[in-house]
Amino acid sequence: MDRVNTPHLSKRSLLAATAALGLGARAGRAQEMPAPERELYEAAKKEGEVTWYSGQVQAETGEAVGHAFGQAYPGIKVYVIRSTSQVAYQRLSQDMQAGVAQCDFFSSTDYGHYLFLKREGKLLSYRPHNMDELIPEVRAVDPDNMFQVLNVGLYLIATNTRKVAAADAPKSWKDLTDPKWIGQEAVGHPGYSGSIGVMAVTLRKLYGWEYFTDLEKNKPQIGRSSDDPVTLLNAGERTVGLGVSLSTTLLSMSRGNPLSFIYPNDGTLAVYSPSAIPKNAPHPNAAKLFMTFTASATYAKVARTFFIPPLRPDVPPPEGALALDKVKLIGATPQEIEEGVPEVKEAWRDTFGV
Amino acid sequence: MSRTATFDRPTFAVRAASRSPDLAIFVWIALTGVLLLLVAFPLTKLLLVSLHTRAGVFTFGNYLAAYGRARYVESLWTSLVLAAETAAISVVFAVPMAWATSRTNMPGKSFVWVLVLGSFILPPYLGAIGWILLAGPNAGFVNQAWRWVSGASDPLVNVYTFNGLAFVMAFQSFPLIFIFVKSALDLVSSEMEDAANILGAGTWTAMRKVTLPLVWPSILSGAIIVFLEAVALFGTPAIIGIPARINTATTQLWQFFEYPVRVEVAAAYAMPLLLITLLMVGVQRLMLRRKGFVAQTGKGGERRPIEFGFGRFVLLGYCLCVGLLSVVLPMLVLAEASFARAWGRGFALSNLTFDNYTFLIFRHESALGSIWHTLWFSGASASLAVLLALLVAYVVSRKLVRFASGLAFLAMAPFVIPGIVMAIGFYAAFAAPPFSLYGTAAIIILAFTARFLPIAYANASSAMGTVHPEMEEAARILGSSRLGTIARITAPLLKRSLLGGWLIVFIVATRELSAAIFLVGPNTRTMAVLLYDLSEAGNFEVLSALGFILLAITLVFIGIGMKLVGRDFMLRRT
Repeated sequence: MDRVNTPHLSKRSLLAATAALGLGARAGRAQEMPAPERELYEAAKKEGEVTWYSGQVQAETGEAVGHAFGQAYPGIKVYVIRSTSQVAYQRLSQDMQAGVAQCDFFSSTDYGHYLFLKREGKLLSYRPHNMDELIPEVRAVDPDNMFQVLNVGLYLIATNTRKVAAADAPKSWKDLTDPKWIGQEAVGHPGYSGSIGVMAVTLRKLYGWEYFTDLEKNKPQIGRSSDDPVTLLNAGERTVGLGVSLSTTLLSMSRGNPLSFIYPNDGTLAVYSPSAIPKNAPHPNAAKLFMTFTASATYAKVARTFFIPPLRPDVPPPEGALALDKVKLIGATPQEIEEGVPEVKEAWRDTFGV
Repeated sequence: MSRTATFDRPTFAVRAASRSPDLAIFVWIALTGVLLLLVAFPLTKLLLVSLHTRAGVFTFGNYLAAYGRARYVESLWTSLVLAAETAAISVVFAVPMAWATSRTNMPGKSFVWVLVLGSFILPPYLGAIGWILLAGPNAGFVNQAWRWVSGASDPLVNVYTFNGLAFVMAFQSFPLIFIFVKSALDLVSSEMEDAANILGAGTWTAMRKVTLPLVWPSILSGAIIVFLEAVALFGTPAIIGIPARINTATTQLWQFFEYPVRVEVAAAYAMPLLLITLLMVGVQRLMLRRKGFVAQTGKGGERRPIEFGFGRFVLLGYCLCVGLLSVVLPMLVLAEASFARAWGRGFALSNLTFDNYTFLIFRHESALGSIWHTLWFSGASASLAVLLALLVAYVVSRKLVRFASGLAFLAMAPFVIPGIVMAIGFYAAFAAPPFSLYGTAAIIILAFTARFLPIAYANASSAMGTVHPEMEEAARILGSSRLGTIARITAPLLKRSLLGGWLIVFIVATRELSAAIFLVGPNTRTMAVLLYDLSEAGNFEVLSALGFILLAITLVFIGIGMKLVGRDFMLRRT
C-alpha cells in the first residue's frame, strides 16, 4: 500500500499505485470491512453506480478517485461530473426544480450552498463511521450531519519562474496591489469559482473592498475557474496568479511546467469544502459508501498523489507541500461565506466590469 | 408577416384535396403541430415565465430587473455590435472564396474546400483556445514572432480585444456563408454572364451586376444567420470575452442563472432578441421584394468556369490566407498542446507524450460516452431538422396554405434565441411531467432540432427558390400526388442542397455548447460540454487532445457521407 507514496509522480506509476491499492482491496477488503460498511457495500452493489457533481477537484483527480473507488468496491461505477462549483450548484438546482433526481453526491467549494440546501430540507443526513479518524476541525461541522467537510483547498499565489525570479516574487496578497505587477496578474471569477468567492470575502474582511479596486489598477486578467491562471502562467501569458489552487499548481509543476508558488505571509486561504448527499439521490447507498470512502485513508492517499491536502493525520502532506498546521491559514466562516459571496460577486462586476 | 399569398394558385390546394384523399393535408397539419410543439410551446412558456413572479402573479417587474441596470443594457448592445462585425467580416472572407471556388478556374479548389470544412468542424471552443495561444498579447506565437522580426515591444495582435473576439468568431462562422453562397453560385448558369459579356460588360462588371445579385438571397440569409448565431454564442465570449472585459448578452444571461436562479428575469432579458429576429426577417423581405432569383429551370443551362491567368493565383492566395488563419494555425498549435506533457516547457522531444490521449480513452469514465452521445444526438437532430425544413420550405415557397409565412417565421425564430434561453425554454416546457424528458437524450435531440431548424430551413428555402414549380406541375398533371411529387421530383432536384444542409446541421450540432449545457444529464453529456468543463481545469493539454478526437471522428463521418453521396458532393467541379 505504501507504493502510493512515490515521491515523483508519473501517470504510469500512479496508475500502478491505484491498481495495487485496488488489488489489495479486492483480496482482503471484504473481510476487513467493518460491519456497517459491509452492509452498505452490499446495498450499494445493487445500485451499481454513483453520480458525483464535483467542483472541488480537477477532472483528472476526480477520475482517479472514481477509479480507486471502483477498485476498492468492485461493481460500483463513479460518474464524475466536474465543473466549477457555481456551475455544479446550478446543475443541482436545475435538477431539483425539474423534480428529477440525478445527483448522488454533491461537492462544491461554497459553504453557502449547503446551508441553503439544509434549510430547504434537500439533504440526507449521514455520518460515515470513519469521520472520527479525520482531523478534529472537520469531525462535527453540522450537528444534524446534513453535510460533511471532506476536502480542504489551499489557495495562494503562483508565479512563472522563467519570468519572475524567486527574489522578486510577491510575498503577500497585499504585494499584489503593487504597480510593478501591472498587466502581469491573473485571477478566476467569483461568479464561477466558489473558492474565488471565498477568497474575495476573506480579503475584503482583511483589507476592505479597496483591495480589489487597487488590484484593478494592475489590470489582472480575469478567467473563470481558480485554475485558469495556471494555464496562463504555463503559457507565459501572465506571470503571477492569485487565488490559485495549491494542488493544481503542484500537479502542473510535477509535469515540468515552469511554476512556483508562495504561501503569502498574510495568510494562505483555506477553503473547507463540504460534500452532501441529496435527499432524493437515486443511489443513496452507493452515495453513503462513496462518502465513507472519501473519508478513508485509501482516498486520502490517492488524492495525495494529485496533491490534495489530506484531512487525516495518518497521511502525510503531498510531496512539496507543508502540513496544514505548519501554514498560517486564513478563511471565512460559513455564515460570512453565505452572506458575503453574493455581495462580492456583485461588487466584483462593478469593479472589474465583468 | 400576415400577407396572404394564396391568390397565386387558389385552386391548387382545393383541387388536390377534392380529387383524391391527398395525404399531404395531414402532413401539413402534423407539420404545424410539430413546429408549434418544438418552437412555439417553449417560447410561449418563456414569455409566460417572463411575465410572472415565481409565485405565479402577473408582473412586469422581471423586465425592470432585466433592463434596470446600465450594465445589463450595455451587454445587449455589445452583443449586437459584435454580431454585426462578425457577420461583416464573415462576408468578406466567404463571398470571394465562394465565387472563386464556384465560378473561376482557380487551382486547388478541393484543397480550399477542405480548409473551409476544417474551419467549420473545428469546435469554437478549440478555435478560441488556439487563438489565445497564437495571439495572446504576451506569449502568443504570432506576437513572439512579430517581436523577433521587428524588435517591437508591443504585440502585433491581441485576441483579448473587441476586434480580436469578432475575428475569432468570424473564423468560426464564415463557412456558413461560404456554403450558402457557393451552392447558389453553382446553380447560376454561365449564359447569364455570357449575355452580360456580349453586351460589353467585363468579367468584373458581370460578376458585380449579374452573378452576385443573383445569389444575393444566399449572401443575405447567410449573413443573417451568422449574425444571429453570433448573438447567441456562449462559448467563445466566455473564454475570450471575460478576460477581455467584454460582457455580452449571453454571459449576462448566464449571470441571471446564478444562485439565486432568476429564470424569469433571464426570460425577460431574452424577449427583445425575438424582436430583432422579426426585424431581420422584415429587412430580408424588404431587400428581396419584387425581385426574381430563379436560376434553375426545367430548361437546363450550361456552367463554365471563368478563365483567369495570373489572377487565379491571387484568388488562391486569398483563400489560403483565410484558411491558414481560420484553421491551419489554430490546429497546429492545438496539436502541439495535445501531445505536450507540459505546455510551459515548449517544444521538445522529451516533452512529447500520448498520455493526454490515453488518459481520455482508457482512464476517463465518460470521455468515450460523450463522443458517442455527440454523434448520435447530432445525427438524429440533423435528420429531423432537414426533414422538417424541406416540408416547411415546400409549403412556404409553393404557398399551399394561408399561414405559410407564419410557418416560415416559426422555423426561423429559434436561431435568435440564445442557446441558453432555448435550453431554459425547453427545460421549462419539457422537463416536468407530462413530458418528463429532463436528463434524457430526447430533450437534447429535440432542442438541437429546434435550434438548428433555421439553418436547415434557410438552406432548404433558398434551394427551393431556385427550382421552378413547372417541373412539379408537370408531375402533378401526370397524376402524381403532392407527396409523391416531393419525393420523386423536388427532393431529388434538391438532393445536393439537402445533404449540404444535413451536414451543416450535423457539424454545428457536434459543436453546440449553449443549448446543451443546461439540458445534459450525467448520462447524456456531449463532447462540447466535456470540453467546456475541461477548459476550466487548468489543463489545455487534455482539452486539446479531446478536441482532436472529436475532429478525427467528425472527419470520418463526413468522409463516409461524401463517399455515399458521391465524390462531387458539395464539391461540384463545374
